[in-house]
Amino acid sequence: MADTALPMNIGAEDHARLRRRKRRRTELARHAALALITFVMVAPFYYVFLASLKNATEIFSYPPKLVPFPPYFGNYEKLLWDTGFLRWMFNSLFVAGSVTTLKIFLDSMAGYALAKIEMTGKRVIFMAMLILLMVPIGALIVPLWSLVSGLGLIDSYWALILPPLANPLGAILMRQFILGLPKDLESAARLDGLSELGIYWRIVLPLIKPGLVVLAVIIFTDQFMSFIWPLIATTSDDLQVLTVGVAALRAHGGANYGIWSASAVMSLIPVGVFFFVLQRQFLARSLAGALKQ
Amino acid sequence: MATAELANGVTRLRLSPGEHRRLARRARLRRELTGWMFLGPMFSFFLVFLVLPVCGTAWWSSRAGSIFGGTKFVGLDNFTSLPGVVGAGSAIANTMIFAGISVPLILVGALAVALLLAKIVHGGAVYRFLVYFPVLVPGVVAALIWLFLTNVDFGLFNTVLKAFGAMPVTWLGADHALVVLAILDVWRNVGYWAMFFVAAIIGLPTELYQAAELDGASPFARFRHLTLPLMRRIIFFAVIVSTIWGLQVFDTALVLTNGGPGTATTTVIYRVWLFVFASNNKIGTAAAISLVLIVAILALTLVQMRVLRSRRGIE
Repeated sequence: MADTALPMNIGAEDHARLRRRKRRRTELARHAALALITFVMVAPFYYVFLASLKNATEIFSYPPKLVPFPPYFGNYEKLLWDTGFLRWMFNSLFVAGSVTTLKIFLDSMAGYALAKIEMTGKRVIFMAMLILLMVPIGALIVPLWSLVSGLGLIDSYWALILPPLANPLGAILMRQFILGLPKDLESAARLDGLSELGIYWRIVLPLIKPGLVVLAVIIFTDQFMSFIWPLIATTSDDLQVLTVGVAALRAHGGANYGIWSASAVMSLIPVGVFFFVLQRQFLARSLAGALKQ
Repeated sequence: MATAELANGVTRLRLSPGEHRRLARRARLRRELTGWMFLGPMFSFFLVFLVLPVCGTAWWSSRAGSIFGGTKFVGLDNFTSLPGVVGAGSAIANTMIFAGISVPLILVGALAVALLLAKIVHGGAVYRFLVYFPVLVPGVVAALIWLFLTNVDFGLFNTVLKAFGAMPVTWLGADHALVVLAILDVWRNVGYWAMFFVAAIIGLPTELYQAAELDGASPFARFRHLTLPLMRRIIFFAVIVSTIWGLQVFDTALVLTNGGPGTATTTVIYRVWLFVFASNNKIGTAAAISLVLIVAILALTLVQMRVLRSRRGIE
């Protein structure tokens, strides 16, 4: 490079400096573009947060105040003490936590069988899982409702926790993860007379721990965000999960922008906290899509 | 077989063929049992709450009546009468338009963000965090947030318009509601696919890019003739999966627009829900539309598996 530049009277050093400067300029342009995009993505959150700190007349005033001072906490007080919000939040966390815990074991065991144990019908089952992977619960509400109500489980925590366990994504991911483990450890353990259960528990589970955390994050957030099944599976106020309760705030009792904004802000807190702590695993959610192939 | 030999390593030489077969059979049986012990629990939930409901949808689609009891067999009537059922056709049309608007915007936007993110040297983590955050917002909450953006009087969109001296727009009116709903979906999903693409871009072979740069290929040419072809499969996968997701839109339509104005934003799953729980005696029709949706999703899944199998796929 430097040699070809010489005839044009540009020294190697100049050339390098020019390139560096150009690179810095494109980096700057990229930052500007990204800053603009993220600003647009984040602005809605700030606007709602702003509204949640305004009283009813301030929300409607134009031009809007862009700094919420003095803040008004009435919306949050009403949301927390006059609605079932805290109960909804508890229900959501409880259901999502239960589903996640159960799925971690069910899926890692199923993944182990699919990856390591020679058994008849394994291929057929795995194919069925791949094919039905994308069928959403929303398309199944008719038979699912009649099934769960036939079991006498409608309007119970069981109705919220059991159907999501059917999702095959976790088993498929865990199979992939376990297939990727080195064979030596496992065969050594087998020679030492460790049972399949022992291999699963003492060798495989510790090795796939990072995968389990990613899986837990996927299941927990999907469960926390789920809406249509909890909407139809429960009827009593005490069993409403967060999404259902928040939708009910919107549907009943007329327009109440103050409470709506406060509930939107409060709903984001648990996910926001988890995301902040487990960023890496959350971003791997997207990669799970690639693994899914 | 190997197991049988190992377990009986000492007596192996004196093993008669019959005995050998018996031992091999027993070892196999044990392996099968262990396999089912591991797979069984998850598989039973899969069977009861996924396979059975999919078949159940087909069964319900041949019946007429209410979900609360008293249905009778009507054959294929639910399908033949589907075009004439009020709301069914518009629900399918709305859903397809919705996916048709949101999917291309999501993927083009995600690709653009990913190209920017993959190349920057400093501060990537902050952008990633912020771009991804809307992905983690439940649909119901996202719709609630968008009520504050689209409100005619004090919404963010009209506030910005007014600041530039433009006329305020009725964002959730019949003309715009479906588009706004699609844009909401873009906001919620761009981050997801952007991260997906970033991972793919980082994995691309750098030598090819260095060679192209030495040959004087412009950034656009590199994108057009290297990045796009190399990411063909990844993009194809994203198109299929995001389309499948787009076909499922429900919660944002319920909370943001109530399916309206009129039926402007009543989507397939929304309509199914209405048929089942709001208007009685439409259970068969609800199942029939659900089945149409399921078949569409299965078809997309199979196309995706077929096309992508040649390289990674199923061992």
